[in-house]
Amino acid sequence: MAEANRRAGRGGQGTPAPQQNGTGRRSRSQRDEDTSDEDEVGSHQRRSSQVPEEDDDPAQRRLIRHRYRELINSVQQNREDILCPSSDKLTEVLRQADQLFNNVRQAREAALDAQFLVLATDLGKEKACQLQADGSTFDPSVYAEHLLTFMGLNRLEEEDSDEEGGYLPQDAWQRLGVKAQDCFRTAPSFRFMLGSFMAEPPPPRQRVERQRKAPNKEVKRIMPTQVKKVDESHQEATEKEVERILGYLQQYHQEDPNSPISYFEFVIDPRSFSRTVENIFHVSFLIRDGLARMYLDTDKLPYIAPVEQGEAEAGGSSSRQQCVISLSQANWKEIIQAFDIKEAMIGAPISCTPVE
Amino acid sequence: MSQKRKAPAIPNSQTRYSRASQALDDSGEDYSFTQPSSSQVQRGLDHLTPAQVDQKMAEVVQFILIKDQKKIPIKRADIVKHVMKEYRNIYSEVMKRVTKTFERVFGLTLLEIDTKNHLYILINKLETVPADVCNTNPGNPRTGLLFVILSIIFMKGGVVKESVVWNTLKKLRVEPGERHEDFGDVKKLITEEFVRQKNLEYVRIPHTDPPEHEFRWGLRAEKEVSKIKMLQFVSQLHDQDPQSWSQQYREATADPNNQRPQNV
Repeated sequence: MAEANRRAGRGGQGTPAPQQNGTGRRSRSQRDEDTSDEDEVGSHQRRSSQVPEEDDDPAQRRLIRHRYRELINSVQQNREDILCPSSDKLTEVLRQADQLFNNVRQAREAALDAQFLVLATDLGKEKACQLQADGSTFDPSVYAEHLLTFMGLNRLEEEDSDEEGGYLPQDAWQRLGVKAQDCFRTAPSFRFMLGSFMAEPPPPRQRVERQRKAPNKEVKRIMPTQVKKVDESHQEATEKEVERILGYLQQYHQEDPNSPISYFEFVIDPRSFSRTVENIFHVSFLIRDGLARMYLDTDKLPYIAPVEQGEAEAGGSSSRQQCVISLSQANWKEIIQAFDIKEAMIGAPISCTPVE
Repeated sequence: MSQKRKAPAIPNSQTRYSRASQALDDSGEDYSFTQPSSSQVQRGLDHLTPAQVDQKMAEVVQFILIKDQKKIPIKRADIVKHVMKEYRNIYSEVMKRVTKTFERVFGLTLLEIDTKNHLYILINKLETVPADVCNTNPGNPRTGLLFVILSIIFMKGGVVKESVVWNTLKKLRVEPGERHEDFGDVKKLITEEFVRQKNLEYVRIPHTDPPEHEFRWGLRAEKEVSKIKMLQFVSQLHDQDPQSWSQQYREATADPNNQRPQNV
């Protein structure tokens, strides 16, 4: 600790070494620090190289870095002011950086110093460029003021606020445009005399987007729900219907087991052709599943009867027959008359459409 | 008078560029198209009636006029692809007539501003009437904006950092981040549209981080803008003699675009 203080003291009073040498020495001390040997050999090396060592106090270093960054930042922010020919701000910031550099002992801070130097050099170059223009120098901000005057800036209110003061008339840029036009040899562009349709077709992009979006929405919104619902409910409804009809068939059979049930009388709904067709469709399931059987009586008229539990298997394995029943509306009416059907044997379902 | 002197110059430049493009063989992005030799052109012409050639010429003229509305340079590749089509073997002859028609009928000059990428622009061959003499022109605000930028670049010696332009425009109540009443998205107008029209060049300065850009005059501006008139106007604003900007004055008087008005 004592040694550190001593070194700090020496660093403070010592005159700053020339910069180029300084970096070389600092990098050596950096190497020392890396090994972080606080032994005799380390300190001996330092002493022999005659470096006025600042304590590598992290807080001190952080402060230096912070100041450098601040300086760099302020230079970047005030670039235009510094570039102003009458300003000697560049000299001022260089002096500030010099003072900062007096306390720099490590490469990391020196890198910031180098960064600042690049910036300062760049500014110096630009200032030199300004000088190059022999004759009058051109100052864009002065130019801007002249342009504002030309554009008709009303400066009366400017005294209150110097930044955004003054009122610029609406046609300011137009006014400038008229005058500027003289410098351009622009070819007048071709226009339709009577302003017929525009040369450009309306952007087709919109149409494409709309077309694309609409089906997307439908697909997303309706398809998944609807398809599932229709499938499920339809199947369920069919099954329910089939069971319901089987119930009717069994009921009629139990009520009077000896009288056969006429297929037509059973199936036909005299008030609704579509119900009739539905009944035929549902009954066909009963036949297929072996829950009911059909037979012709002596007059070759079809009859239907439920299959008893025991019979079912025997009937199922026996020969399967298929037939297609065709029924037109005229047939339907004929049958109703011939069989004198007044009422449907199968009651209408509770609701005609699948409940969902 | 100047027209007579100018007229033979165009066909010359045409043959010169045709020879050059033959040498280059038009590889790359260009529409695959090699300039046929003059004998090939002659043979191509033999197969066509003069009316057919004139018809093609008229089509090209119309194509260029319509294309010029946006003031984006017209590519040779586009002319060949959309208009010349199977007539491409007589391209040079048709273009010769197109150039002549623009000069004689429309008072416009068709210029190839980029002989490598074959870009054409139209510029006005006639002198503009000074605004204060005949003030029927309502004036285009964009021309004003472009003028400000071009004049800063010119007065600053040809190159200018982006920040200089924006700082000046800020004083003129034009902010890059704000929508402007006349210009809309100013940043886009300046760095994209003006660039595409070849009025400006907007290039990133190498080794800058964060990237900085600089502005130069575009190829169109070089042909279209009269530096001496620009200098005169800038000097008038400053209430100074144009000659007091000696460097700019030297450059402006050497500008080939001025020579014609002086002859007339």
